[in-house]
Amino acid sequence: MDTTLLQQMLLGALLGISVYLPLRCGQLSLATPGFYAIGGTVAALLSTRIPALGGDGVSYPISSVLLEMALAAMVTGILALGIGKVVLRLRGIYLAISTIALVEILRVVSLNLSFTGGAIGIFGIPQPFASPEGYVGFTSLLLAVVCWLCDRLERTRPGLAMAAIREDELAAASQGINTANTKLLAFVLSALVAGVTGVIAAHFLNSWNARMGNFDASITTLAFVVFGGTRTWLGPVIGGLVLTALPELLRPVGDLRLIVYGLVILMGPVLFPQGVITPERLSRWSRMLRQRLRLEAPTP
Amino acid sequence: MSVSPPAAPLLEFRDLVVRYGSITALQGINIAVHTGELVALLGSNGAGKSTTLRAASRLLPLAQGSIRWHGGDLGRVSTERTVKLGLSHCPEGRRVLGRQSVKDNLELGAWLRKDRAGIKADIDRCYGLFPRLAERRNQLAGSLSGGEQQMLAIARSLMARPTLLMLDEPSLGLAPKLVAEVMTTLRQLNQDGLTILLVEQNANAALAIAHRAYVLEAGRISLEGSAQDLRSNDKLRASYLGA
Ligand SMILES: Nc1ncnc2c1ncn2[C@@H]1O[C@H](COP(=O)(O)OP(=O)(O)O)[C@@H](O)[C@H]1O
Ligand SMILES: [Mg+2]
Repeated sequence: MDTTLLQQMLLGALLGISVYLPLRCGQLSLATPGFYAIGGTVAALLSTRIPALGGDGVSYPISSVLLEMALAAMVTGILALGIGKVVLRLRGIYLAISTIALVEILRVVSLNLSFTGGAIGIFGIPQPFASPEGYVGFTSLLLAVVCWLCDRLERTRPGLAMAAIREDELAAASQGINTANTKLLAFVLSALVAGVTGVIAAHFLNSWNARMGNFDASITTLAFVVFGGTRTWLGPVIGGLVLTALPELLRPVGDLRLIVYGLVILMGPVLFPQGVITPERLSRWSRMLRQRLRLEAPTP
Repeated sequence: MSVSPPAAPLLEFRDLVVRYGSITALQGINIAVHTGELVALLGSNGAGKSTTLRAASRLLPLAQGSIRWHGGDLGRVSTERTVKLGLSHCPEGRRVLGRQSVKDNLELGAWLRKDRAGIKADIDRCYGLFPRLAERRNQLAGSLSGGEQQMLAIARSLMARPTLLMLDEPSLGLAPKLVAEVMTTLRQLNQDGLTILLVEQNANAALAIAHRAYVLEAGRISLEGSAQDLRSNDKLRASYLGA
């Protein structure tokens, strides 16, 4: 497979997780591209404006990338904390609309600031890796860590609180779950994942501009989750991987590919209302797999 | 001879006004629940019964008046805090988590408790109280019958180890036989020392087990008294008891 496409798929999976986290406690936030854009901007600014980060000047040091990620996480985290306190009072479609507005505001602000390069953006972002393979390795590692953390989260108290809020917010609240703080936590974690993903994307794409986080991106990343499912972290990962790859893999089909792509997004929710990946389906598949292995094992 | 002042009620609503935007759902109500009592709050649909309970568990802002717990003001307290104080709210319509098991639902009820051993013992106590839940402990709550879900909702509220349990229409949608079963369980819990505030439209069922009752009409208390007096009250008989 094309390594560049593989890298885009991995970024898609990370953004899928970012949309998934608030949805896990029932909050439809479309703010992911906004935080992704901020993460990328942080990386673009630091790596092009601060010579000290460049190391020996041959290849950009990975330690500097990690530093950018930490700073991007701090900026997006603090911003999400402040914004979340306000917008999370809204519910359902109102939250979705206000987060779309947030993404648009961030885009327009970035478009009109001189230090973010305005409409042109920032070019010549230095490369920590000589080849796409390097990016794929680094991003795979990050995805693995994020997946592991999500898996841990789903089994711990905040994760259980999120699941309860999603099923019935009033019931969760009346048992003494702090619903406001739990929703805020999910929103901040979502922003962190998007921000950190933006850092890698900025280096990988070599340039960054205001168009990186727009309304289209909100819808595309939402489709990852709608397709993959919102009940376990594996859903958005599969959704991000598959739906990023699909338009490219369908390129030989010519113009038909966009129609096929649209049909997948349209039919996914009809055929799989909870997404392709659900905990029930996962356990059924693993049962089937175990059975098959047992059948094929030689009898002693 | 010194006369000790009467003890403050466990839970008290004083001139409580609650609004939803421009709609005033409660127009200054006064209700007192003393330790050990089983008090019924009756009224038809839309009278403001659920609003009263939601205000007590601090899910709604108070417009005027106050809610007191052991005489102390609950006005600025969070829902989390009311649960910790010993006020448990079993909401209208059961609201069990359908995609989680019976056991997980019970554990959710113990959300703010840290004593693992005590929680385990209380889960077993709930299974003893509702044997049908014990048989279905690993089943998803959504697959239970309406009656079983109501029992689970009550059991979940008990898992918080409340001193006062507020129930919102536990008889709703249940067959008469199940209503009687739920009421018997509530009376048993009360006799074992649990104070109960029971919201009901089914006045017959509630008055059969309550000590005292209040009748709420369009956000105002229109009638109050001992359950015995209310059972023979003409006005109440005409409008709520179908006699
Ligand atoms: N979320 C809400 N928004 C606006 N009005 C509400 C809301 N909930 C209840 N009400 C109104 O408040 C009044 C009391 O409702 P409620 O407490 O649910 O009554 P009950 O539980 O006795 O049936 C009703 O007129 C109802 O329409
Ligand atoms: Mg009601």
